[in-house]
Amino acid sequence: MMGIDYKVRDAVEALNLKYIRALDRRDMHGWLATFDNPGTYVCIPKENEDRGLPIAYMLDDSYARLQDRVTQVTKIQPDAVEHYQPRHFTQVVDIRPLGGVNYRVETHFTVNYTPDNTGRTDVLATGTYVDEVVVNGEARFRSRRAVLDTNVVPRYVAYPI
Amino acid sequence: MTANISLPDTVMEWPAKYNEIPKAVFEEPGLWRLELENIFYGEEWHPIVHRAEIPNPGDYKAAFIGEMPIFAVHGDDGKIRVFHNACAHRGATLITDSAGNKPDFECPYHRWLFSSRGDLVGCPNSHEFSPSFAKEKFGLKELRSDAFSELYFVTMSDKTPDLRSYLTDVVADPLGRVLGNGHGLKLLGYQKVTYDCNWKAYVDNDGYHAPLLHLAFKLMGWQGGKGEQIVTRNGHIAFDSELTIPQKIDALQDSSIVQFKGDPDSKGSIVVSTFPITVFTKHMDMLNIRYAFPKGPRGVEVHYAYFARDDDSPELLAHRTRQCSNLLGPSGLISLEDAAIFTRIDLGNRSPGNAIFQKGVTDEYRLEFNVKQNDESGNLPRWEHYRQRMGFRRAAA
Repeated sequence: MMGIDYKVRDAVEALNLKYIRALDRRDMHGWLATFDNPGTYVCIPKENEDRGLPIAYMLDDSYARLQDRVTQVTKIQPDAVEHYQPRHFTQVVDIRPLGGVNYRVETHFTVNYTPDNTGRTDVLATGTYVDEVVVNGEARFRSRRAVLDTNVVPRYVAYPI
Repeated sequence: MTANISLPDTVMEWPAKYNEIPKAVFEEPGLWRLELENIFYGEEWHPIVHRAEIPNPGDYKAAFIGEMPIFAVHGDDGKIRVFHNACAHRGATLITDSAGNKPDFECPYHRWLFSSRGDLVGCPNSHEFSPSFAKEKFGLKELRSDAFSELYFVTMSDKTPDLRSYLTDVVADPLGRVLGNGHGLKLLGYQKVTYDCNWKAYVDNDGYHAPLLHLAFKLMGWQGGKGEQIVTRNGHIAFDSELTIPQKIDALQDSSIVQFKGDPDSKGSIVVSTFPITVFTKHMDMLNIRYAFPKGPRGVEVHYAYFARDDDSPELLAHRTRQCSNLLGPSGLISLEDAAIFTRIDLGNRSPGNAIFQKGVTDEYRLEFNVKQNDESGNLPRWEHYRQRMGFRRAAA
């Protein structure tokens, strides 16, 4: 990250904080607002990623799909799901320029979860976000790829990570 | 290994009515040892790997049968075999990851080396071994296996009938259509999850719930068409149903995710459930095997494996990938609700009494095999098979 303008580093950090703050408040519209248009989101286990297998837990490969993710979480599934409080922790570990206003960013994450019905806290997933970020004043995700070290998730995953 | 052991009748007496299941059957931890002996190590076939998952010589995949670690290997002779994941010497595991490729398998403990066919090919200092030692007696312990449509099953019992008879004609047909119907398959990847429930709660999903639980069906205006539910005496269930999906779905910005490109092998939706715990589905363009591994009396680890046909166009392959990734599995638009029910039903069944099936039950004192696609009574022959395997006495009417 040496040599990256501090304004870019600040913008990337602010974007990560905006993203995790939205998810931890279960604010899906706030989550959507962190993406550029066009923008994509993928949540994939590392096992598939390493083997070149394309199946993901969530594969939103267009802005329309991101909007439909919001619909799924807010309108389609809420009455069946046992809800949980997610709590994300992130650490930016690498920023590389891709030319112009685009940067490739790697951010480690861990997500704890506390189900409403048990109140006990456990780890939901840990891994790395591999992102393409557009920094044009404010930063946005052109693509966010959550690669989960957690190849067997401990429960169904109701919200994006 | 196949000797039937059972609890005294007083511990788990089955109700006289066929549509009543004791809730304690989900919650009594002592049942697990019996289930291992009578079911998982008994006269049942368990699918372990499709050839498309280990397509090249040396490819291997780890799995479990009951509590025993096993692994499937694509041998250098092209044959697929399934072995206990234990060195033939002192029993250390040979495979420590979920899948990979090796020309041969070395135990690090004393450097015993096994070929991809399971033969012992090297063991240091063997001139100092016991008088009865012979290399050919110390190959990896192979499980009895058989394949259907390139899907390899194993059984721990010599008495299990051959796989094709076990599956029955009425289940082999839809299962064959899920597994490509003669086309080769290509692995697209896995979603793996642990559900916090007893394994029987995971597999007790029924035909009644689909249009009611799944709000997605309603929101998207999916029409349930004609269809049938087929049940067998040995606990298998198959659904073969029409699925009509509107071209434009108002609730979604991108309706293409639920398009059915269509193929002659399906009317839209095929679900096959083989006893005791495996589910196979072909909804729209998603080919899916759900390998499931109980982790004792609580918790079941489900590995959703997704496939394409090996002659798919790149466009169809991409369509299958985005459909599988978004509709099924532990975050899927149409299956996340099932996942929620597995744990809710499991917790709720800690209340006393029986779970009582209603939809499709015409005579509570008779087992009915003629069921409609949206009946829940299709699960009752499977429960009866379970009861018999476990040796539980049914109360007199």
